[in-house]
Amino acid sequence: MISMENLTVRFGGVVALDHIGADFTANVSGLIGPNGAGKTTTMNVISGFLDAHNGHVIVDGADLVKLPPHKRVHWGLRRSFQKEQIANDLTVRENLMAITDHLHGSRADKRADLERAADFAGVTDILGKMGRDLNTFERRLTDVARCVIGHPKMIMFDEPAGGLTPEETERLGDLILGIHDLTGAKVLVIDHDVELIERICAETLVLDFGKRVAFGPTSDVLRDPAVQAAYLGIEVEEEHA
Amino acid sequence: MRSTSNTIWAVFGLALILLLPAFAGGQWVKIFTSTTTFAMAAAGAGFLYTRLGMVSLVQVGLMGVGGWVTLRLNHAFNFPFEINLMVAGAVTMFLGNLIALPALRMRGLYLALITLMFAAGLDIVFTAKQFPNGADGFWGVGTTFAAEMRRPIFAQSDAAYLRYTMLWLVIGFVLIELHRRMAPGRAWALIRKSEAAALASGVNVTLYKTWAFGLSGLLAGLGGGLLAGSLGLLDAATFRASESVMLFALVIVGGARFWYGAVISAVLFRVVPGLLNNWGVDADLSLVIFGAALLHAVMSAPDGLAGQINGAVRALFSGRKSPENKGAKA
Ligand SMILES: Nc1ncnc2c1ncn2[C@@H]1O[C@H](COP(=O)(O)OP(=O)(O)O)[C@@H](O)[C@H]1O
Ligand SMILES: [Mg+2]
Repeated sequence: MISMENLTVRFGGVVALDHIGADFTANVSGLIGPNGAGKTTTMNVISGFLDAHNGHVIVDGADLVKLPPHKRVHWGLRRSFQKEQIANDLTVRENLMAITDHLHGSRADKRADLERAADFAGVTDILGKMGRDLNTFERRLTDVARCVIGHPKMIMFDEPAGGLTPEETERLGDLILGIHDLTGAKVLVIDHDVELIERICAETLVLDFGKRVAFGPTSDVLRDPAVQAAYLGIEVEEEHA
Repeated sequence: MRSTSNTIWAVFGLALILLLPAFAGGQWVKIFTSTTTFAMAAAGAGFLYTRLGMVSLVQVGLMGVGGWVTLRLNHAFNFPFEINLMVAGAVTMFLGNLIALPALRMRGLYLALITLMFAAGLDIVFTAKQFPNGADGFWGVGTTFAAEMRRPIFAQSDAAYLRYTMLWLVIGFVLIELHRRMAPGRAWALIRKSEAAALASGVNVTLYKTWAFGLSGLLAGLGGGLLAGSLGLLDAATFRASESVMLFALVIVGGARFWYGAVISAVLFRVVPGLLNNWGVDADLSLVIFGAALLHAVMSAPDGLAGQINGAVRALFSGRKSPENKGAKA
């Protein structure tokens, strides 16, 4: 279970997260909200890139907030970025090795793990390709491989479908749905694409202006009038703009 | 393709190590030796810049520290040259670690300025205290002293010592290349992408930045120690802060992505002023030439002269022009 308790983040006067709490029990959960709602901020706090003014994130009994960022990764936290962060001057293989480098285990185990992750994400054929030569979808797939390598316990994706075609988004959704069976990790997906969230996330948390608007089974949440007002309303406006 | 050109470079390098000391006459042996020692420092600055995107303007200052420690130990104890050199390398590696501390918080221009301040501080100390020449006391400087500088048993002559120095440079390049291929190299590539990318992959950013500056410092210190072994006496003017800035500029001109870029940088740094002198031209003219070369590098040749040479060699062997040097690495 992933428990957020009372998470609060302020940037100067702006309250980016206002006492957010939620207990995610599903294998794949969603986090949605309009632009600036605090989704990425939530992820940054969980990663340790930002210090929360208050609150805890407890996963399988471990309080992540107490660990420095790199130790959270060693513990089993993985994440992708809204703007992917694949190192350009490393190959896909090296980008993956960069994670197992810092984990315990024999060379042979790490290699087997890497091959398994690459196979799962479908990047086996491009393991030798340089980061700078990857296209958008290959980058996203590499990110998936990065996230499932090294026995993760919790994985977060920040807008993984951004810039992908509908077919690619579908394939990515299938991959994310397969992660729990492969690794046993809990997955948290942030996205604007409500259809994707609806398809792959059993539970969803909705944020707006740093406040919790709704939380629960995804279908219930999406039918909630408060959510439709906050989130879908803005989506419609954006489309007209 | 890459392995062909690597083999060619290796053969070329070996030939150079064997032939240069044998055929270079008189003063040139010393100039080539000092060029080699500066190439070590340049390699350190170059790898910091290309692998981590960090600017170090203190390399020549650290060479001075390496030289100081080597001289000091040489005159105070009877250790073999190698021991003195290793201690010098260890000291500058530690100083590199220290300089990395501000690097943990700052980047870009601010970090460059911090390293420049270190260089200026060293400059002041060197000018005030000068370099040990065998006199008594901690600073070991006397007016009429010129104590003997011991060299390795198998590198007594100037020509043999040049070979010995070149061997160290090769060791330095191998050290950098090994790092690049292993965990630190991958961690550095991620840090260069962004600290967030590194942290998200479990990289201890503090550790690896400190490590990088340490390695760069080690190379500078070894270079300085080797220079001390060549000359026997060192002068504060060699290690001015402005020399560190100049060396860094030439690292950009030479091209820091490729190992031979460091050699080009050092040749420009050491040999060009000497040549101009030989031809009766004011050596300060080299400043103008280097300035123009730097502008050229910054504006149109991001991988420096080495990148252009690499491109030409690749074009030669693949039979077509390759405008970019994809996949080629230092
Ligand atoms: N580093 C920062 N400094 C100041 N304000 C920030 C910072 N990061 C995010 N914010 C602000 O916090 C709010 C939430 O941002 P964010 O979490 O990125 O939203 P999103 O839900 O679109 O991912 C926004 O108002 C944003 O401007
Ligand atoms: Mg966001």
